[in-house]
Amino acid sequence: MSMSERKLTPDLFRPANLNSDKAEEISKPSLSFWQDAFRRLKQNKGAMLGLFAIVFIIVFSLIAPTFTKYGIDDQELMRSNLPPKIPGLEKIEFLGVNGVDIRDVNQYEMKNVPKDDYFWFGTDSLGRDQWTRVWKGTQISLYIAFLASAIELIIGVVYGGVSAFYGGRTDDIMQRIVEILYGIPNLVVIILFIIILDPGILSITLALVITGWIGMSRIVRAQIISLKNREFVLASRTLGSTNGRLISKHLLPNTLGAIIVTSTFTIPGAIFFESFLSFIGLGIQPPIASLGSLIADGFRSIRIYPHLAIYPASVLCILMISFNLLGDGLRDALDPKMRR
Amino acid sequence: MLRYITQRILYMLLTLLIIATITFFLMKLLPGSPFNNQDKLTETQRYALNEKYGLNDPVPVQYINYITKLAQGDLGYTFQFDGRTVNSLIVNGMGPSATVGFEALLFGTIVGLLLGILAALRHNTFLDYGAMVIAVFGIAIPSFVFAGLLQYYVGVKLGWLPVAFWNGPEYHIMPAFSLSVGVIATVARFMRTEMLEILGTDYILMARSKGVSKSAVIFKHSVRNSLIPIVTILGPMAIGLITGSLVIENIFAIPGIGEQFVKAITVNDYPVIMGTTIFYSFLIVSIILIVDILYGIIDPRIRVAGGKS
Repeated sequence: MSMSERKLTPDLFRPANLNSDKAEEISKPSLSFWQDAFRRLKQNKGAMLGLFAIVFIIVFSLIAPTFTKYGIDDQELMRSNLPPKIPGLEKIEFLGVNGVDIRDVNQYEMKNVPKDDYFWFGTDSLGRDQWTRVWKGTQISLYIAFLASAIELIIGVVYGGVSAFYGGRTDDIMQRIVEILYGIPNLVVIILFIIILDPGILSITLALVITGWIGMSRIVRAQIISLKNREFVLASRTLGSTNGRLISKHLLPNTLGAIIVTSTFTIPGAIFFESFLSFIGLGIQPPIASLGSLIADGFRSIRIYPHLAIYPASVLCILMISFNLLGDGLRDALDPKMRR
Repeated sequence: MLRYITQRILYMLLTLLIIATITFFLMKLLPGSPFNNQDKLTETQRYALNEKYGLNDPVPVQYINYITKLAQGDLGYTFQFDGRTVNSLIVNGMGPSATVGFEALLFGTIVGLLLGILAALRHNTFLDYGAMVIAVFGIAIPSFVFAGLLQYYVGVKLGWLPVAFWNGPEYHIMPAFSLSVGVIATVARFMRTEMLEILGTDYILMARSKGVSKSAVIFKHSVRNSLIPIVTILGPMAIGLITGSLVIENIFAIPGIGEQFVKAITVNDYPVIMGTTIFYSFLIVSIILIVDILYGIIDPRIRVAGGKS
């Protein structure tokens, strides 16, 4: 037998490294929940693309209006309805940015616009620079969306949190109220409020908030109810934490994921409703514009001047798609259970 | 179950009452009266007009009258046309609105289901990604933007379909299609997730190992089981369709309720605004109620919680 030929001598053996401190050492730095979530988010190409597009549009909406010398309501009827013309790109025929309209007339020459005047997105029926208006409109759309979402977030978190945390009778009463409000179609309420309040940035925001916070409060309530009976909360309570500490140190941080995900979906929702209202004539009133009102104006003359609708519509679509992609990515990254 | 349904119906009535009350008082808050602008009216004529429409009574009396009439299904008279009731406007608009909505729902559900099933069966392939890109676009792009672009490119530039109005079957295609985009996207996304979950279950593996034919596994076992939870998205989908119809009907000049509503807003025809608002609320609240009841029948574990957007 070959086995017996090899003698087992003590020098073949070495004592194992039994240092108990070393054995349980973790070689890689541990990832916190947020680092882990961010790592997962980075792997999601769609979400990163969306994030990039959102940041790009936000930055652009802030700085782009300064690229041209025209203000948002600088009217000049001599240069009305000019098609887009972009320096450099005007040589390339099929891009359609050479100042020639759909009837093959170079409007810039016909209307005697100075040679070095370029309107990158063209001008509208009053001769206002569409480039400035589109980006200013984006600014206003985003402003309304962020403001409405922020207020919704605060009201929703407080309402849902209080309702879930105190439970019992408080919860009963608060949830009955929510149940009734929940049944009211938000579109109807929003339209009614706009009619009463006169369209404007603040009234649109308010109208969006009035129904918008309910969704957030329900999600926060569900999260906190499931959290507050968990062991770590009990442990903290046993160690003498006050309610305030429990909420701020344990309950809210653990709900943050769901709150962020919900917010990324309320923002495009608000953008949609704002543009929808502007589209049916209840939104932003002239002279300021939002993406929705620009699209509505553009569609009125889309047969002759398609550029008026195409550019704001593209910005709106990119914005909506990006927020949805980012929201999907965040949901997958922050809460794998919520995956849909 | 019966108790649950009764309770839900009571809630629904309460919600409707609140909506009607809010609508009424908001309309009363508005300054002016419909007849103030007509300078030609003498004081007596104005008084007579106000008397005819019951505007001389104190507000609480008007409110009681309004609610009693509402309970009988009477929504009052429109200011736009002499002697026409809001009810008749709604009844007239119902046909086209319901037709477009139904066509969009039918087309959207069929295409959405097919897309979702194909995406799940060809998981992580080009087809899957393609279907999901369509779904994200469909959810994200507002229907009025889509409708406008469709109208421009297909109606104006290519000239394949009539641009607007409501004169025959070919006039239905574009509005119904624009309205169905959201439905396609929601259904496809939902179906894909459900199918993927079910394709991974043990009983599908069991059926396969037993030698059940591929089509039987797909249609009898997977698709049928994935269809059950689709009830949950019916509510949000119906609300989306109604919201969409408001603008779609305007873009394509369809003589439906949505068009009436938007027109009433622009000309401040308050009875029509109130009437259509209450009509829409009634529609949405009933849809949610039906969905919740269906839900309870299909899955007895869920009784109180309801799914809505």
